[in-house]
Amino acid sequence: MQNIWSFTRRYLWVTAMFSLLFGACERSVDDLDAPGFPSNPDVFIDGFSGGLNYAAFGGSVPTAFDVDEDITYNNSAASMRFIVPNFGDPNGAYAGGAYFTGVPRDLSGYDALTFWAKASQTASIDIIGFGNDLGQSTYQASISGLQLNTGWNKYIIPLPDASKLTAERGMLFYSEGPEDGKGYTFWIDEVKFEKLGTLSHQNPAILNGENVVVAAENEETIQITGLISTHSLPTGLNLSVNVTHNYFTFTSSNTNVATVNASGVVTVLGAGTAVITAKLGNIDAAGSLTINSVGESVKPAAPAPTPTQPADKVISMYSNAYNNVPIDTWNTRWLYSTAEESFITIAGDDVIRYRNLNFVGIEFTSQKINATNMTHFHLDIWTPDATNPPNNFKVLLIDFGPNNTFGGGDDTQHELTFTAPVLTSQNWVSLDIPLSNFSGLTNRANLAQLVLSGTIPNLFLDNVYFYNNSAPPQVPTTAAPTPTHSPADVLSIFSNAYTNVAGTDFNPNWGQATVVTQEPIQGNNTLKYTGLNYQGIQLGSNQNVSDYAFLHLDFWTANSSQLNVFLISPGPIETAYALPVPTSGWVSMDIPLSAFAPVDLTNVFQFKFDGNGTIYLDNLYFRK
Amino acid sequence: MQSICKLTFIQAATAFLLTALLFSGCKPDDFQKLEPRNWQLVWSDEFDGEEGAAPDPAKWAYDIGRGGDGWGNQELQYYTNRPQNVSLDGNGNLRITARRESFAGAAFTSARIKTQGLFEQTYGRFEARVKTPYGPGLWPAIWMLGSNIETVSWPQCGEIDIMELRGQKPNIINGSVHGPGYSGGNAISKAYGLPNGRFDTDFYTFAVEWFPDRIDFFVNDYLYQRIEPADLTGEWVFNSPFFLIFNVAVGGNYVGFPTEETPFPQTMTIDYVRVYQEAN
Repeated sequence: MQNIWSFTRRYLWVTAMFSLLFGACERSVDDLDAPGFPSNPDVFIDGFSGGLNYAAFGGSVPTAFDVDEDITYNNSAASMRFIVPNFGDPNGAYAGGAYFTGVPRDLSGYDALTFWAKASQTASIDIIGFGNDLGQSTYQASISGLQLNTGWNKYIIPLPDASKLTAERGMLFYSEGPEDGKGYTFWIDEVKFEKLGTLSHQNPAILNGENVVVAAENEETIQITGLISTHSLPTGLNLSVNVTHNYFTFTSSNTNVATVNASGVVTVLGAGTAVITAKLGNIDAAGSLTINSVGESVKPAAPAPTPTQPADKVISMYSNAYNNVPIDTWNTRWLYSTAEESFITIAGDDVIRYRNLNFVGIEFTSQKINATNMTHFHLDIWTPDATNPPNNFKVLLIDFGPNNTFGGGDDTQHELTFTAPVLTSQNWVSLDIPLSNFSGLTNRANLAQLVLSGTIPNLFLDNVYFYNNSAPPQVPTTAAPTPTHSPADVLSIFSNAYTNVAGTDFNPNWGQATVVTQEPIQGNNTLKYTGLNYQGIQLGSNQNVSDYAFLHLDFWTANSSQLNVFLISPGPIETAYALPVPTSGWVSMDIPLSAFAPVDLTNVFQFKFDGNGTIYLDNLYFRK
Repeated sequence: MQSICKLTFIQAATAFLLTALLFSGCKPDDFQKLEPRNWQLVWSDEFDGEEGAAPDPAKWAYDIGRGGDGWGNQELQYYTNRPQNVSLDGNGNLRITARRESFAGAAFTSARIKTQGLFEQTYGRFEARVKTPYGPGLWPAIWMLGSNIETVSWPQCGEIDIMELRGQKPNIINGSVHGPGYSGGNAISKAYGLPNGRFDTDFYTFAVEWFPDRIDFFVNDYLYQRIEPADLTGEWVFNSPFFLIFNVAVGGNYVGFPTEETPFPQTMTIDYVRVYQEAN
């Protein structure tokens, strides 16, 4: 016995190295008639049973399994020992592998795989079962979360349908990772197939026994999952075995609506209702999938209107017309939300599609949106559903407030409700919502969530963005920037910040049409030229500015298309300098005095502006 | 039923449980040489009726509530007479169903029916065809109490348990007698097990044949226990009328407590109950 085992052990390490290739090299037994394969029930009693091989799974620690001759069940000669690695073990992340035979076995006379097991600590084996042959694993069946403790206990894995197992090669397989990051050891012994006779009350189920109802449309495919077979153990407890679809036969109540293939894949073909059910052997499985198909899907024929707002006045969340800010998710899947999202294209335009929409959370907490300078929120929506009253569509914006996190008492939000005639069915509806309408949304510097809800379960959504369409202001709302240059370096003509040259005439009569006034803006005196054609400034005395480097001035205009400033010395010698107009807000310029050559900088006495529009001026001074 | 299966007198006085495990069903053998009896049916209920109907009120009364201290056993259920706990199934069976539901302060409901005040008998054959519930903490029972329990109290009144089962071992039943000096955990009792079957998957016939000097216990007419006065550690109190009780208890001293994994609801299905007296 010992010699045989030693040979086997050497062999199996080699096998483990090529485990992934092994299945592909084996001849498939699926198509063969059962020619009366041996019915040997033993898997591992005091060593490997005849013809049994081991292969470690990819990514597992290859040496996790070994034969233990010291710790055995009932003082038998040997047991199977499994050393589960610690988290981060460089040899592999888990212990896992399959025990399989070269020649299939006929297990149809048994009703359970049984074994004794213990562990170095209480633990839960992730997966253990049979039917994994490293190939098709047609009749794989397994237990999830098998509870072990430090004493030997007998475990039973019921065969879901022994009549299928006339040519089975997968005798045992397992997969177990660390418990709370820590490795440990467990032992298994006396592994064999048995006819217990004390298993009963088999209850197979699909979809974990739930009766699931889904809305669907043509060409959709749905995989039936949650395939289990529950058995009453001899202890009176129920145990659920996870099984493959090959144990089941699936049926559709209406194959004009939906068909289901042997793999449990449902394909929707037409409008109406079909119920998918299954049997395991002759037993009806609990659970069903009811498909309510609308048939051909109803979608927008054309994309949403292309946005026209200039990109520099837009913060876009979803649009092909703009660069979009990052959005964490278009479906937070909050509790009780039934919404399902998908991303489709309509004539090349990306569109978000929601189905079963009762409400959907859209989150952008990672990078919140500051819409303080925006005036409107825009969405394009399209629905095939009825929009007549009382149907509605609701838009909720949520701002996390200055603390920039959810809660904390500073969050604000507001929800707006839209109904017909704004809402229409099967048309793109562009909602341009003034942000002021969200009256409860007192902050919008930390917008983090958008929630869409209402009574239109099918929604197509595009061009979600904030924008600013306010007309440019005609007067400055803020004062010119306060100068920061040292008074010692400044020769000021017009500024509240410095002492100005005395006696300067800001409206000498040179025959101009310009109306000159001085207006306080935020308490700061500002020079205003209304209807500029040209306008002079006569200094109170001639100035030598040759020690200065720049002429500084602040100017603001919403409507000027041409503006020049002139520095003048007697002669007169004057040179124009063009200022960029119009401005968006105050513009501060420092013009090198050399730009005014050949003006005599030792003896300047006038300024002149020409051009058009209404101009605000401030902080006109020479500086070093 | 009785004529098909000629019971013969038992010769082996002591049959060990493990021996008994190997034999079940109506197969007379060396251990089953029973004397022929001429049983005459005197009282029965075949439980025919509409689905959801209560059992015949002329034959059955109810114990309602939690009893004193869980019917003396720390049982967890509240007994009701609601159809969801006790009713006919429309196919000739009575269902007693234990449910996990909060009811009047209890975590489970179930039912306990009895013939007290309606039918009682001294001696004879008492049999029921039953499929049991299962699962840890389930405790179905077919049993009898002495009708004088109101005057002499338990255990002086005597108790004959035709069938009791612990749901965590659904392949083993017990037959027992209780009386003064041999009650509760000291009852005179024997187990009968199925080596490769369970009492919750098929109907089995459980019976006692009660004579002035012995009580024989049967599963599918296999005699697995005989109790005579000499076997008792106290007085033989089985010479007065007894009435029948069917119930499904949840939890309690005998069975232990149900676990989170115990499947509910759990039903004891009774095909019939028949009581015979021997014709002279």
